[in-house]
Amino acid sequence: MQQEQAVPVVVTPAVEAPLRKRANAGQNVLKFVKRKPLGALGFAMIIFLFAMTLGTPKLEFGVPELPHRPFGFELGAPWMARYGEEEQFKSIASGRLAQHTDPTIDNWLGTDGSGRDNWSRIVWGARRSLFLAVWALGIATAVGTFIGVMTGYFRGWLDTIGQRLMDALQSFPPLLTLILILTIAPFTSSPSLVVAAFALGFVGIPQVQRIVRGVVLSTREQQYVEAARVIGATDARTMRYYILPNIMASIIIIFSTGLGVVILAEAAIAFLVPNVLPSEGASWGLMLDQADNEGIKDHPWPAIASAGAIALAVLGFNLAGDALRDVLDPRLRTG
Amino acid sequence: MQQYIIRRSLLNVFVLFLVATMVFGALRIDSSTIVNNRASSCVQDVGGNSDPELCRRVAKSELGLEKSFPRQYLDFMTDTVQLDLGNSFYTKTSVLDDIKQRAIPSIELGLLQLVVALTIALPVGVISAIRQDTWIDYILRFVAIFALGIPVFVIAIAVITLTSQYFEGTFVADWLGPHNTGWVELWEDPIQNLKLVTGAALVGGLGTGAVIMRFLRSQMLEVMRQDYVRTAWAKGLRERVVIIRHALKNALIPVLTVVGLLLGSIVSGNVILETIYNIEGIGFYVTFSAAQFDFPVMQGIVLVVAMLLVFVNLLVDIAYGWLDPRIRYS
Repeated sequence: MQQEQAVPVVVTPAVEAPLRKRANAGQNVLKFVKRKPLGALGFAMIIFLFAMTLGTPKLEFGVPELPHRPFGFELGAPWMARYGEEEQFKSIASGRLAQHTDPTIDNWLGTDGSGRDNWSRIVWGARRSLFLAVWALGIATAVGTFIGVMTGYFRGWLDTIGQRLMDALQSFPPLLTLILILTIAPFTSSPSLVVAAFALGFVGIPQVQRIVRGVVLSTREQQYVEAARVIGATDARTMRYYILPNIMASIIIIFSTGLGVVILAEAAIAFLVPNVLPSEGASWGLMLDQADNEGIKDHPWPAIASAGAIALAVLGFNLAGDALRDVLDPRLRTG
Repeated sequence: MQQYIIRRSLLNVFVLFLVATMVFGALRIDSSTIVNNRASSCVQDVGGNSDPELCRRVAKSELGLEKSFPRQYLDFMTDTVQLDLGNSFYTKTSVLDDIKQRAIPSIELGLLQLVVALTIALPVGVISAIRQDTWIDYILRFVAIFALGIPVFVIAIAVITLTSQYFEGTFVADWLGPHNTGWVELWEDPIQNLKLVTGAALVGGLGTGAVIMRFLRSQMLEVMRQDYVRTAWAKGLRERVVIIRHALKNALIPVLTVVGLLLGSIVSGNVILETIYNIEGIGFYVTFSAAQFDFPVMQGIVLVVAMLLVFVNLLVDIAYGWLDPRIRYS
């Protein structure tokens, strides 16, 4: 009997293929900063804006006396706010309200007509602006993407009707329509920022839908989508795994530029017709309106603070959105 | 082409119908705010002695909310077709007449704003494109981004405050600042009329111009890479001829669409500018009425402006096909 002999096999050490190393996150960020310095500046501004509004959450489940809160908890004061939203200052010398003081160590941007600290109100106002903007954009992108994917994917009569509906929505002048919706919106019975956010989001639906539909129309003709259909993927699966990932870039761009647009719209409406918006808390637009009523020439600080906050926030979102558009979606480039 | 125009016009009729239906639906979703507001002012009018329930009923009937739903819809549609937009709650005047009266300042401001925007955007966009990636391009683009990024009302307030601070009483404040004199027609006093709108037109034109400039720049860059432009250079044509006759002419066609699309945002932007600059146009009328919850006025204006924009979009599409023979509508 012959025994099988073990033949020694020369094991060649696996040759490390000269793979290109994937850039890690840090390198990517550095590359972005180098290529788009203005975009990076925009992102820094946005991160600062969001960071400004952070606060420790206070859990407040099941406390019956409290007014209704959507998530059962409340955020504590933003950590960058030095004083409360409505906290008023008294001047030590006279004991009266410290109205319209210039910047000091205590009040970095001075005080307003009611003796409240401008810097703290800017920080509180940032939370309100971001809350409104994120809700509004969330609603606009969710509804707009849904309609856009449906009309673009199924075509046919759904598309025809959807497009005409969107044409109609799009022919409404945005700011006028917003003011109209806000005058109807029932703030008197339930003063809620969420209702205002719905109105702000509603106006954005057709714009989101148009962009998403365009992307879906070009994607659904791609070969890999056809291949997916051939192997028997259902419509839902095709949309979820083959088409939706293509839209993500557009949605990210819409979201980042849209946040700026909503913040601007809210500020503009608060400045023009302050009584159609819920007035609780500090709001940049309402601050500017108040400053305007009290006379900017004599008391410039509240106006400088609020107008500066609005301008910087909108500028930050614009810069970041532009850079994102160039990097993520060259097709949408506008120069 | 003819067929296309007819088909688009028919579709537009359908879109107009949808626009009117949406405006009809807006109030019917929740009319409580408007009715309560109207009712409370009725109670005040009579000196607090009036029955609040009666006031609510009066307010409802004023808005036509009493009848059955199909009946309301039919009434609303016939009124809209006959261009009867109802009367203002407060002044009791016909909304359509008010709009007609206030359209002239708005149109004048809008046109001037476009003129300002184009005078800035055309040269700046072309220079920035033909001198791509030089310091002048960077500076111009940087300025454009700021003109775009900073909200129009912040710029307007800054301009007004600064001019009234440092140029009080001089011609600068006279031309750039707001006036409280009310509207003066162009043919009555041209200088005064222009003084009313120049400030707003300049501020508004800056932002609009920045949008057009950025778009024109990217279009120019694309056109400059085309073969026919290279041929023009190779023929030894002068730079001015190549840029203006061969490149700019073709780059302008897509820009036209953007200008058409911008009309909507100009209408919105003018709400802000008219209010800040006290120009008694349609935008001024809107904010004035919104502050009083004067619903018929706002509903009428939104309806009229939306309908105008539907037709402007059609005109832009037709002009697009007329200017660019490569585009065929089927």
